[in-house]
Amino acid sequence: MKRVSVAVLLALAASPAFSFDIGKVIDIGRQAVQQQGSPMTKEFSQEDEIGLGNALTASFLGAAPLHPDAGLQRYVNRVGKWIALHSDRPDLPWTFSVIDTETINAFAMPGGSIIVSSGLVKRLNSEAELAGVLAHEIAHVVKKHQLTAIQSGMKADFWKGLGTSVAADHVRIGGGVVGSTVGSIAKPYILDAAGNLIKDGFFLRPLDRSLETEADQLAIVLATRSGYDPYGLVGALQMLAQYKGGADEASLLSTHPSPAERMADLEKFLPTVEPYARSPQLLEARFRQNVK
Amino acid sequence: MKLAASLLAAILCLAASAWAQEQAFTNRPTELKDKGAAEARTLATLPADTAVKVIARAGAWTQVQANNQTGFVRAFHLRFPVVVEKGSSSGLSSITNIFGGGNRSTQATVATTGIRGLSPEQLKAASPDEAALAKAQSYRADKPAAERFAREGKLTAVKVDEGGSK
Repeated sequence: MKRVSVAVLLALAASPAFSFDIGKVIDIGRQAVQQQGSPMTKEFSQEDEIGLGNALTASFLGAAPLHPDAGLQRYVNRVGKWIALHSDRPDLPWTFSVIDTETINAFAMPGGSIIVSSGLVKRLNSEAELAGVLAHEIAHVVKKHQLTAIQSGMKADFWKGLGTSVAADHVRIGGGVVGSTVGSIAKPYILDAAGNLIKDGFFLRPLDRSLETEADQLAIVLATRSGYDPYGLVGALQMLAQYKGGADEASLLSTHPSPAERMADLEKFLPTVEPYARSPQLLEARFRQNVK
Repeated sequence: MKLAASLLAAILCLAASAWAQEQAFTNRPTELKDKGAAEARTLATLPADTAVKVIARAGAWTQVQANNQTGFVRAFHLRFPVVVEKGSSSGLSSITNIFGGGNRSTQATVATTGIRGLSPEQLKAASPDEAALAKAQSYRADKPAAERFAREGKLTAVKVDEGGSK
């Protein structure tokens, strides 16, 4: 597939010598898009996927702070990394961030950044349950569920907004903020895309039910591969079934199928995995040592 | 199966404290077994909606106390009542009974103590915090650290394909 090099266009736009031709750059970009037919599709490179995840994570951490317990952060990262090593994308820069909020939620960012609330972690009862929750989010990243939804949502708007993105970047450069640290975590047009996703409430909307089912099933497989009790996710869902987020909360209970529905699906799937669990671990004591 | 049963027993001992006295109900008629295994002796047949207290759980079986008998029922044969919890940022929170496939049939409004939550508005209005991102990334585990952590927890890797077979 013929691809438009957005980076090249942006590099040109960022050049002071090119400042008066910014409209031309945008036109060139649009023409290139039109020449490739419609609907336009573009896949993020892995580098851009990671950049998008960085930018989104930075925004989440702007909304809710990291939990101050460094030991908890390291513990969750170790559990998550061990599981991710058993996925098809073990080499992503997997990062697991516990945000300090009582709201029950977990989010998967493209590129391997997972955010989980302390309100969720502290209501779990074992490392196997935490593994089930993290494995579900890892599965979303491995299967690129969010990334695919983001890309498909950008078919028209991303390219239409490209001119805006380039122009805005140019204005920032003209304003003397070249080298801003904001630019270091992702390319400017990725930062803009991330900002729009946050403002539009992308992470407050549910994914397709079939994707959640796929993530639950892969989570069971990943947890089992990692040596955890395959029923960890079931225990977590049974806990979730006891809670209901407030109407004013960004809770996963409002973006996921009900725990009862998810358990009904898993009841059919789990027996196919369970026989392969050799010495399944719950690690309840280690969990209690690290999650206070 | 003997190995599985002994492992289950060991895990149940570890898990017992965390799950003590948790209230649940059977979601269908089910058998109360003397051990966590399908071939174990049946102590009683519990009708649907029998109240039980969870003692411990591991794998497919949950140890419960039902009608003054202690035994094991299948994990999927239990449902858990909604906890009315203090935990909304607004001071008032709508609590909904989500049993029955998520039917919003039973609603009650309860007072809360204003524990800080994450609201949709907060999330939409967020501006990037790069220092926090850098800090979060400093907690990453590398592969050797994750493998060492797994060994400490006696986590043994198993080969399973995505469809659930080896």
